[in-house]
Amino acid sequence: MAAIEIASLTKRFGKFVAVDGVSFSVDEGEIYGFLGHNGAGKTTTLRMLLGLTQPDSGSARVLGNDVVKESLAVRREVGFLPAGYALPPDMTARGFLTYVGAMFGMNLREARARADELLARFELSEVAKRKLGAFSTGMAQKVGMAQALVNEPRVLLLDEPTSGLDPIGRHELLQLLRSLSMDKGVTVLFSSHILSDIEALCRRVAVLHHGRLVAAGDVAALRAEHKAASMEDLYLALARKEAA
Amino acid sequence: MIRLVWLDYRAMLRERKVLVIVALFAYAILAVPALLSKPPAHVLTAVTGWFGTADPFALFLYVWTDLAMNKLAAIVAVVLAGGLMARERDMGILPILLSKPISRGRYFLVKLLSAWGVLVTVYVAAHVLEAVAFGRSIPGFRAGVFFASMSLHALTLLFSAAFAATLAVVIRRRTIAMVVSLLILMSLMGASFVGFYQPAWRAAAMANPFSLGVQALAHLPSPGLADVLWPMAGLAAMTCGMALLGALAARRVEA
Repeated sequence: MAAIEIASLTKRFGKFVAVDGVSFSVDEGEIYGFLGHNGAGKTTTLRMLLGLTQPDSGSARVLGNDVVKESLAVRREVGFLPAGYALPPDMTARGFLTYVGAMFGMNLREARARADELLARFELSEVAKRKLGAFSTGMAQKVGMAQALVNEPRVLLLDEPTSGLDPIGRHELLQLLRSLSMDKGVTVLFSSHILSDIEALCRRVAVLHHGRLVAAGDVAALRAEHKAASMEDLYLALARKEAA
Repeated sequence: MIRLVWLDYRAMLRERKVLVIVALFAYAILAVPALLSKPPAHVLTAVTGWFGTADPFALFLYVWTDLAMNKLAAIVAVVLAGGLMARERDMGILPILLSKPISRGRYFLVKLLSAWGVLVTVYVAAHVLEAVAFGRSIPGFRAGVFFASMSLHALTLLFSAAFAATLAVVIRRRTIAMVVSLLILMSLMGASFVGFYQPAWRAAAMANPFSLGVQALAHLPSPGLADVLWPMAGLAAMTCGMALLGALAARRVEA
């Protein structure tokens, strides 16, 4: 069964078409790669899935909920890590995660317990009471990931989650995503332009180029179709084909 | 929602701008003795003419209300709420927060309620300190009148915060919204006593939240309960209306 279904989704900003009739679906429990250059339309697509931006046409459903008409229901089941985000600098890590828990309707005791659990999981317990403004990039990214997991989401939408992480942090994040998918059946839509990350995690991908979907499906099949030895070769072949 | 407001209130108390607000209130408390020691002649004339009494307590209440709290109401409201949601968006925090199951309108109200909480906390603390500091030194100081009058004025502060927050989500550019809010609130504040010196304008002045906020002074030396309650009701209605308007406008804010 599809956890995410996107059909002819389109978003325009004035005359600029950011997302142009994109359609693909992601199965439950799958880690699905969402690939494209900077400005290809990945972020806009993810924002439409969360109701942060309204599509101009087309439709999308997450766990059966329409992203426009039932966006609050979507957001109850989804964890989101945006690209280039910031955390409230005056809040502590524990305070922020508790706050996010309260946004999901948890009472203060539940929210604090969940915050402590996540801080321990991401090895942040020692800095739990430190203000987020004093966190390093890697630590902030861990808090970012932790806030996406507060509600034990069934679907994770991750926008460039490995950007800014050192090799160890990146490795740990990829391991975490594998574990969430395999052990808990969490569906992950993993947006990135870091091809090695996509290759390491995903069996299927969708590739955007200037807002249009240029390929979607099984990575091995796409590589065979385009005679590409690696993910990088596949992406370059698709990009050149579009440019031609 | 109450849990979220409580957490937001506690987080907001740690923000640096709250220190600025506390400093402004502290300055007001410290400045009052200087203002009262040599009040300008036109202030004395105005107090006697408008309030029909030369009572030192009336002078104190006028100085505290107009020269200190009225100006602070415009400034601190803009400092605390003038960038509401726009600040979070500019900093890149909003996409995370709005990806949670909370509507934009509700989030606006959470932020506004916590801002109100912070303002009321500082305002009440400042007034308790003021009452303690001047209760004995001002001849004829009446704590009941002081707190009743300033409770009414507190609603002006809440209105100002709601107004500044609403403009922040309507204009969406933080600096412009704050400047426009400040200019409008300062203009309203400047006209707050117009009904006192231009009786013909008295009825029209009731549309000005700052005029409503100083209505207890119109009934010195002994304002009754009704003299405070009816402007309170008017200000509360204006404030709630402004907050709802802001919540509606917030629905169009993109993260």
